[in-house]
Amino acid sequence: MSLYSPAEGWFDKKVAKDEKMWMVIALILCIVLFVWMVLWHVYGKQNPSSTTYRTSTAEFAKLSEAYIKQNMVGMDNGIPVVRPKPNSDVFVMGEMWRWSPVMVLQKDQSYKFHISSKDVMHGFSIQPVNMNFQVFPGYDYVLTFKPTEPGEYKIICNEFCGIGHHAMIGKIVVIEKEEDLKLYGYEKLKKAPDPLPSKVSTATMTEAEKATAGEQLYTLKGCAACHKTDNTSQLAPSWKGLFGKEESVMENGSKTSVKVDESYIKESIKEPTKKITIGFEKTPMPVFPLTDDEIDQITSYIKTLSN
Amino acid sequence: MFRTCDITGFKVDLSSEKLIRANAVFAVISLLLAVTAAILLVFTRYQPVHLLGAEWYYRLVTFHGLNALIFWIIFFEIAGLYFGSTVILNTKFCSPRWGWIAFGLMVAGLVMSNVIILMGKADVMLTSYTPLKAHPLYYLGIILFAVGALIAVTLFFGNLMIARRDKAYGDTMPLFTYGLMTAAIIAVITLASGALIYIPTFLWSLGLVQNIDPAMYKLIWWGLGHSSQQINVAAMVSIWYMVSFLSVGGTSINERVSRSAFVLYILFICLASAHHLLTDPGVSSAWKVWNTSYAMYLAVLASMIHAFAVPSSFESAQRRWGYNKGLFQWLSKAPWGNPAFSSIILAIIGFGFIGGTTGVIFGMEQTNIIVHNTIAIPGHFKGTVVIGTTLTFMGITYYLIPLIFRRKIVGYGWAKWQPWLFFIGIALLSIAMIVLGQLGVPRRHWDSSFSGGPFTHNFNPAVDFFWALMMLGGVLAFLSTIIWILIVVISVFFGPKVNGPQDMQLNISPLAPQVKEHKGFEAPGTLVLTMIFLLVFIALFFLNWKWLAATWNVN
Repeated sequence: MSLYSPAEGWFDKKVAKDEKMWMVIALILCIVLFVWMVLWHVYGKQNPSSTTYRTSTAEFAKLSEAYIKQNMVGMDNGIPVVRPKPNSDVFVMGEMWRWSPVMVLQKDQSYKFHISSKDVMHGFSIQPVNMNFQVFPGYDYVLTFKPTEPGEYKIICNEFCGIGHHAMIGKIVVIEKEEDLKLYGYEKLKKAPDPLPSKVSTATMTEAEKATAGEQLYTLKGCAACHKTDNTSQLAPSWKGLFGKEESVMENGSKTSVKVDESYIKESIKEPTKKITIGFEKTPMPVFPLTDDEIDQITSYIKTLSN
Repeated sequence: MFRTCDITGFKVDLSSEKLIRANAVFAVISLLLAVTAAILLVFTRYQPVHLLGAEWYYRLVTFHGLNALIFWIIFFEIAGLYFGSTVILNTKFCSPRWGWIAFGLMVAGLVMSNVIILMGKADVMLTSYTPLKAHPLYYLGIILFAVGALIAVTLFFGNLMIARRDKAYGDTMPLFTYGLMTAAIIAVITLASGALIYIPTFLWSLGLVQNIDPAMYKLIWWGLGHSSQQINVAAMVSIWYMVSFLSVGGTSINERVSRSAFVLYILFICLASAHHLLTDPGVSSAWKVWNTSYAMYLAVLASMIHAFAVPSSFESAQRRWGYNKGLFQWLSKAPWGNPAFSSIILAIIGFGFIGGTTGVIFGMEQTNIIVHNTIAIPGHFKGTVVIGTTLTFMGITYYLIPLIFRRKIVGYGWAKWQPWLFFIGIALLSIAMIVLGQLGVPRRHWDSSFSGGPFTHNFNPAVDFFWALMMLGGVLAFLSTIIWILIVVISVFFGPKVNGPQDMQLNISPLAPQVKEHKGFEAPGTLVLTMIFLLVFIALFFLNWKWLAATWNVN
């Protein structure tokens, strides 16, 4: 009958007993689902938070950088490592294509994560425990986590964020006691944070000191997300053996060659898309606002990475 | 100009018939584009093959999403809306000229967006979350398509008005057209949300608007993204009722109940859009819990009402035909050789047991934490949109070929098992994806070995088995879709002409006798089946909450 007008009296037809039964059961189920969610907020231990702050990408980048400078206790594959105190605020930054910092947490202690993005949307996915949250640029999402099991966890990005999306993976280590640090190769972490020498002019630094400062910048500013130091060049040229090398680049649509020296490195940081190395046209580098001193330090660091 | 159908007796407006054909043809073209991309994507995510590079992987995910979820489905729905508002109501098409304008805009939109994607100017995924930016012509293509669709929906309402004025149907609109009307109303809401977000985004891509807030974008985009799925549900359920009528002469055992359920879809449309923001910053828990349920999940209730009403319409009719033995003789003696019938039954099963259960559970605020943006999410909507909507549309096409295209189905033997192959393929694909997602595997991710990253992660070793299962399911579903497309194309263009009822391969049943033969429940078999569904739902419900409870604490 569904293609014709229904039979006379359809509107007043009594609902069959079995259909009525099913509808009542279905309605009860639907109400239970609602009540269940509300009760989980009272009795359950996993609830997305309602705490969000409006921020800007620039403001949060500053907060995150300052936080890492103050709390950095080491480095892991080019990502700064922090060891936050229980109940403290932790600033977690997602950017194309890395999560920073790496965090060493204590089992059964709470940490107040502030999570935001420097560029596009990212997905904050802790594995293998499998907890997933959305990360927006311009919004500071405050989530208080309390790890319940020790172990090594990864933060996968599960919101598409560009061509290097798959390489965006961070790390959280949860320890029960101090000896556990050895399991993760973290026994050499500094006890007390050692902030970067700030406002020290490069003029008074030795070449070795500049290189150390450059290495910290490499980690802090996120160069490590794309530029590796181990000869692999998936998203950007590796820095290993880069200094002094002849690179084929595209400039204004034509192919030319350039020697990697101090002035070329400086130009590449200030105007990254002016000359693009052949093979990396699809992953152009964004502009990072670095001072001349910082560029100088990074150059010194690159010089140490000879083959 | 009308012809009177010698099989069904309906008066068919020839100008409407042409428009139905044109829209249906483009639906099939879109589906072909979508599945071609899909099979390449499956073999990319299946790590031992890892077919495409990162660039083309993301490009084709975008391409697949747009063609499958938007173009295929909306072209088919427009064909369905025209069919339901003219042929079924014996009415002429209100303005064929505007029908062709709408069609032209939709085709232009399809071509423009697809070309831009394939040129590599819009690697932004279907969702195109800002601040990811595509080429302006990508957004313009979607806007053109949406404007065309909106005109088409308006024409549907025009047809209804003519039918009403001419008293073309009795006092009450037929249930099938009524269901389509709810789909059309939802379509207006959906397309309005689409305009609200795509127009500013288009201006932003041109540099005329400074900033599109990403959270606002996501909120409004899902007013399009999920509401459009409610169009599918309403259209699909309408087809279910229609096939019950065509194949066994069945009708809703209580039309008031069925119609009320359709109204619930319109009233509670926002529920589904809101559940996309469950693990987002920007909105509070109270907002999330309230706006995804309004305290009682009335859109879910609507689907659960249909879950009883549709099978019971088959059961009740079959019982009145005399298949009254035991609980399930009505089902065993059903016209299983009719591919439209088997498609619809399989679609109901897949939609309910795979898509429906996971949809409700994943759509609760806290359980969303363990699945958000994992591959379990596309797994869920393979259950709803692919087994549910796509298989339904495939099934009803077996009726449209002889009735609207006036051709016999070539390869009818193949058509009989095509729905089964499709069901098995997508069920494997979908279940494998849901399990992978529960093991933490992300969606839209090129390389699960995280090459080039500072660290790596090894998923639970069980994933290898489910990746293989997903690949197998994808291959079966792909083959089945190609078989369906070949049957449709060959039949429509080269099939023998249908000259009367003797050429109908699918049965068209007369209305089942009115007298109720059996005592007690109207549809006891259906009640048992819905109870089984309830048990499966409860089992999955507790499983998911148990997994959630095992994670870290967070608040």
